[in-house]
Amino acid sequence: MGPRRKNPVSRRDFLKNAAAGAAVLAAAPAATAKPATLERDTPAIPASPDVEHRPPPAVEILTAERTGSDFMVDVIKSLDIEYVCANPGSSFRGLHESIINYGGNRRPEFITCCHEESSVAMAHGYAKIEGKPLLVMAHGTVGLQHAGMAVYNAYCDRVPIVIIGGNIIDATKRISAVEWAHSVQDAAAPLRDYVKWDDLPISLPHFAESTVRAYKIAMTPPMMPVLLIVDGELQENPTPNDAALQIPKLSSTGPPQGDSGSVAEAARLLVAAENPVLIAGRAARTPAGMIYLMELAEALQIPVIDQMDRMNFPTRHPLNQTERAGELIAGADVILGLEVNDFWGAVHSFRDQMERTSRLVARPDAKSITISAASLFFKSNYQNFQRYPEVDVDIAADAEATLPSLTEAVKRQLNASRKSALADRRVRLAAAHDKALQRARDAAAYAWDACPISTARLAAELWAQIKEEDWSLVSNVALMSRWPVRLWAFENYYHFIGGAGGYGIGYGAPAAAGAALANRKHGRISVNIQCDGDLMYGPGVLWTAAHHRIPLLTIMHNNRGYHQELMQVQIMANRHSRGIDRATIGTTISDPPINYAKLAQSMGVYGDGPISDPKDLGPAIARAIQVVKRGEPALVDVLTQPR
Amino acid sequence: MSSLNRVNESNMKASFLVILAVVTILAPFATANAQTPSGAQNGKKVFEKLGCSRCHGSAGEGMPQTGNGPPKIAATHLSLREFVGSVRDPKGQMPPFGAKQVSDAELSDVYAFLQSIASQPKLELPSSANSDNGKRFYTSFGCYECHGLEGQGSAQTGGARLGPPQIPFSGFAAYARQPTGQMPPYTSKAISDAQLADIYAFLRSLPRASPAKEIPLLNQ
Ligand code: HEC
Ligand code: HEC
Repeated sequence: MGPRRKNPVSRRDFLKNAAAGAAVLAAAPAATAKPATLERDTPAIPASPDVEHRPPPAVEILTAERTGSDFMVDVIKSLDIEYVCANPGSSFRGLHESIINYGGNRRPEFITCCHEESSVAMAHGYAKIEGKPLLVMAHGTVGLQHAGMAVYNAYCDRVPIVIIGGNIIDATKRISAVEWAHSVQDAAAPLRDYVKWDDLPISLPHFAESTVRAYKIAMTPPMMPVLLIVDGELQENPTPNDAALQIPKLSSTGPPQGDSGSVAEAARLLVAAENPVLIAGRAARTPAGMIYLMELAEALQIPVIDQMDRMNFPTRHPLNQTERAGELIAGADVILGLEVNDFWGAVHSFRDQMERTSRLVARPDAKSITISAASLFFKSNYQNFQRYPEVDVDIAADAEATLPSLTEAVKRQLNASRKSALADRRVRLAAAHDKALQRARDAAAYAWDACPISTARLAAELWAQIKEEDWSLVSNVALMSRWPVRLWAFENYYHFIGGAGGYGIGYGAPAAAGAALANRKHGRISVNIQCDGDLMYGPGVLWTAAHHRIPLLTIMHNNRGYHQELMQVQIMANRHSRGIDRATIGTTISDPPINYAKLAQSMGVYGDGPISDPKDLGPAIARAIQVVKRGEPALVDVLTQPR
Repeated sequence: MSSLNRVNESNMKASFLVILAVVTILAPFATANAQTPSGAQNGKKVFEKLGCSRCHGSAGEGMPQTGNGPPKIAATHLSLREFVGSVRDPKGQMPPFGAKQVSDAELSDVYAFLQSIASQPKLELPSSANSDNGKRFYTSFGCYECHGLEGQGSAQTGGARLGPPQIPFSGFAAYARQPTGQMPPYTSKAISDAQLADIYAFLRSLPRASPAKEIPLLNQ
């Protein structure tokens, strides 16, 4: 139950009085703490004609002790949401003010963001570490449109976020031309294709129920963002004295678990397989998922290929065979995919030449098993569901929740002779793991002293500085040839947060800040290897990190370009045999070069660099870590090789 | 609006599949030649289509000057049986070629072709090749984008390590013209033979990396 407060005036009375005198005044700052007796003898603002024709009210009621937004804060607090990320907007000013004053700006605490895309991506990064949603607020129009790309990333990446969009629904209550432009009939429409659920509560009880429901839906695998459109008047109107406002109880929905028949069949195939392989995508949702996965892998002595959409499997575990993915998939007789985003793509190669062609790279007789909650949720418009995979045992369930029963079923089916065969397999795999690590190190030695600095050298220098700390890599590794995961020892769930999900650029910097915000209370050093093109989408998040004292070490992977796109244009030029030296047009950000250290400094973030000599890199990182250990963000600009 | 799109994903996948690509992308051609003209002639075709020429050079000259690069296999001392055995079950770096990819009969044609080549096939890199020019072309023509500024290669782009070269010039140039994998083709209209030779000369001028075992940061 939310606390009830006494209210000086019922809603109906308030509206009656307000209608008489407040047509103009409503636009003035409403949140004064003065008693409700503001009388106007000499009108500062000319009265509207409507007002002139009516007798003035005896006492105009201009304040209220408690409004709908206070109750909304009670509801939000009941969900134990730590932060609310937002760029301020008038359509949720009521909620904003209630959060900071009525709610005491604690759980949730307001995080000032410089762009709605930042707000959402921060919540995205936070959820990757903390496993639960933050609240994001945005204008229902201009804000949600800004937020859209980041929401799509979170949707593709199956990350829970609770989003509230403000709106002024009643056309006769829109204050100004601005508010008309910021009002919308169906505010959720632009995002509906890539949120799991949305609603438009029209009363406070409706708000309470829908918010708790939204949270629950977001947190049920497959997890995704949810959206509530909340009317400005519902926020700002006083709460009636007699309102029976109740907050429904939140219960968590158990994740869907694979059916026992399919699980037994999967176990049978895996136990009998001579060359099985396990591919993990978003397999581990929580730290427990990593443990379950290790238990299954060790029961079967199965090689694990970690696509690292989540931190699934320790990189130095002898069964981690990610570096041998190609040969293992090609030779496998049974392939198990756990929350693999694109299973078809894992067993096919695609050739991007004049004619686009693809080929099965797995054995045609290989049996495949997939476990994924993605099979339980489909939308039509956006195509992130990938190509149709032909699978033998398709289990529509959450992999993490299914793993313990699969491991049990495997153990039941293993006899002594099978176990000893599996032990031999482990010896072979452990040797192959060591060889692959050595191959990676040998490859890293090339361009070791190069200027700009090689991405391998960057990874190695950084590892030397953080490996004795309690660290967390809060950025992706794909665009730097995956060097960190090839060279570092990732062991804990929070050591890595995976990628954006929808491959939408601009995610990196704010997601890193959000993950670092989650890591802060655990005292971890959050490390962000930051691509330059990505940072330029929304560099304002550096200010957010400084303002909120978010300890985040940002190491720029500054290759001065949108390098992926540079390669795309190169491919087109080659295809036409023309201008093969012109692909840099429109794809590079080198003239003028951007000084990221100064950019950081301008926002109150410690900034160092640009560093182009590899010998200077280690000391620069060490200096920056000292700043981060003081609880502040720091950035080191490093000029790097493209990939 | 920039975003990582389909091709980039397939590039990322390519990183998983680099090793594999060498073996399998060439496979569909394996059974192409039903009517054998003459053994050696057909052998030359198979040799090129399977990509043997990429590593061993168009004349099987290999890279005898580098330690563990592809050996010279023209006018080989191996018997046909030993030859087939080396292809089916290579000793080290070389990807294996199974019977599905190339038949014993085809390999015997390849053997005939290689035996028909003079015992000292000459390296085809012209002496005029200029490494300074090559360094410029390597950058301006975009090789660095996928292969790194020092030819170190990348697991993300799938671009092989090119510097210093592990394959002879003939295989290098032929691959740039007609790649069998993801690499975009560089036709003679886009880049001349002389320019490719300059690029090769540049890559050859690059030092070999120190062994990783001697770099402390790579042993942590
Ligand atoms: C990716 C590069 C590569 C490709 C493609 C390749 N080879 Fe090799 N080959 C090598 C290397 C390197 C060696 C040295 C042994 C090793 O490392 O496996 C070798 C060794 C050999 C040997 C043994 C030579 C000796 O003197 O012992 C033969 C024969 C041979 N290759 C033939 C072929 C044929 C035929 C093909 C095409 C079907 C082919 N190779 C394709 C790289 C390659
Ligand atoms: C858009 C990316 C891209 C560009 C640009 C590019 N390459 Fe490649 N290259 C690749 C990839 C990927 C491979 C690996 C095989 C494949 O998939 O084709 C490769 C392989 C090669 C190989 C075969 C190496 C081996 O050991 O097997 C050579 C030679 C080569 N590239 C030369 C060049 C040269 C020279 C240039 C510039 C004139 C260049 N490449 C530009 C992507 C690229």
